[in-house]
Amino acid sequence: MKIIKIFVLALVAVLSNKSVGLSQNLNWARLKPEQRHILNVNAGYDYAFTYGVGYGYQLKTKFPIVLNVEHSQPAGEDIFDDFKTKIGGQIRLYQINNFHFTAKIHGVFRRYENDYVRLVNFGSDMSAIIGYYKSKWFVAGEFGFDKAIVTNFKHSDLFREDFPQVKDGWYEPATGGNFYFGLQSGLSFAKSDITLKVGKVIQQDFKTDPTIPLYLQVGYNRKF
Amino acid sequence: MKNSRSFIASLFAVLLLSGCEPELSINEPGNLVPKTVDQDSSLPSIKVNGAQLHSEAFGNPSDPMIVVLHGGPGIDYRHLLNCKEFADNGYRVVFYDQRGAGLSQRFPYSSYTMQVAYDDLNGVIAHYRTSPTQPIFLLGHSWGAMLATAYINQYPTADIRGLILGEPGGLKWGDVEDYISRSQDFRLLGEGLNDAVYSEQILTGKQNDHAIIDYKFDLWSAAGDGKDSPTGNEGRLPHWRSGAATNNAYIDLGDRENPDWTTNLSQYTTKILFIYSENNKAYGLAHAQKVSSAYPNVELFETLDAGHDMLSFPKGWNNTFPTMLNYLNSLK
Repeated sequence: MKIIKIFVLALVAVLSNKSVGLSQNLNWARLKPEQRHILNVNAGYDYAFTYGVGYGYQLKTKFPIVLNVEHSQPAGEDIFDDFKTKIGGQIRLYQINNFHFTAKIHGVFRRYENDYVRLVNFGSDMSAIIGYYKSKWFVAGEFGFDKAIVTNFKHSDLFREDFPQVKDGWYEPATGGNFYFGLQSGLSFAKSDITLKVGKVIQQDFKTDPTIPLYLQVGYNRKF
Repeated sequence: MKNSRSFIASLFAVLLLSGCEPELSINEPGNLVPKTVDQDSSLPSIKVNGAQLHSEAFGNPSDPMIVVLHGGPGIDYRHLLNCKEFADNGYRVVFYDQRGAGLSQRFPYSSYTMQVAYDDLNGVIAHYRTSPTQPIFLLGHSWGAMLATAYINQYPTADIRGLILGEPGGLKWGDVEDYISRSQDFRLLGEGLNDAVYSEQILTGKQNDHAIIDYKFDLWSAAGDGKDSPTGNEGRLPHWRSGAATNNAYIDLGDRENPDWTTNLSQYTTKILFIYSENNKAYGLAHAQKVSSAYPNVELFETLDAGHDMLSFPKGWNNTFPTMLNYLNSLK
């Protein structure tokens, strides 16, 4: 029952356009209809120094739609204890000459672990992007919201030495949420894009900053 | 079409949720963090200066009193309970979690000032003091040593018989910043940095959402105790609950007001005992000499085989206790 509930919550997050994040950046002016597959590698700062991979598939639709799956994880000695996986897509909703308006919607599954606790979270990530796209370069602004909808806590014996009564389980309503806004840009050549995005993160109260309130991502796309 | 999908999905979710057991709330005290004294009447507490503070005292009530000031700001006295040993040696030992810290009552971020901390300390002393002639010693560790100094600087002629300070970050804010920058040596690609900050995409809390921000502070503290830390502790510090709002308030106060707590220390001519540790690579003799030089009369002591929390682990405690006891006995 719990699993169904979690799945539904993630589904609702995506369908209801409530939220979205750092994901594959595309040069719409360079993406050809016959280029169905887009591979991406990236690295940057996303709540820690992270590196990631992604795959996108362009649908045959009137408006360009790219479905994609992405995985990223922070650097560190423990390779599999922290990660973030996103499944969703982006659609170019509107175009006026070289100006494009794009929406991204992703469901998010992420994991965090330290000596005290293991967190598993289902969330959503939604953003809007408006930019100027030429065939060899683009620059755009983005605004998005990353919502941690429901989170499972499992504490270690070490944590229980301090607080034995801690309650493990699923916590809701939402345990967190962050807005982000910034710029993204890129250079395109042949079947490739080199992209850069940089911006600021702020908590959903629009007052509190995370410890490092910035994000930065350098990426490479290969289309075929 | 999109609205219809949203409505159907939301309705489906609501129907499912209504049939399930209630979920846990992150802001409910007792779920992720312990309840505080105002939420759990079984905890030992005192009421001073309008606050309910988690507090205990050991030893003969009329013996010379040692008031223990814990660090942080915002952690608690659990890791200083070794100091109970003074009670077996002719002292009354008083512990309290500072306002907003440990298991003491929480207050809004904007309410924390140095004067409130001084008034709380005055209140604790007044609460436990059994006679006007009972000697009072202050024993402060880290932030607690800074608070003890700030108190002496504010009241240089107060009736404080002696002072034991364990590695205060600094007595001027610039020294504090220097020490903090050295002691939190997170590597960009290290696991310690992930452990400290990666959870911030999952857990967020407003300035006074005490349960969640205290819990986040606990996770941060776990990262700070990691093997990357240069502070040289033997292990992880035991604690009850962190106080994030008070920590943020006093750190922000320092950044904003750049305090100098040394301006009146020349008036406090009693010898103080200033302790630093061998294994804290962020501190060291040079910083200890620099910081302690604000006092006119200092006994400087290096605890061997210990890190920053030299009073919390067996080696450090055993190597420091005799010196502290000698110092206290020489003044009582």
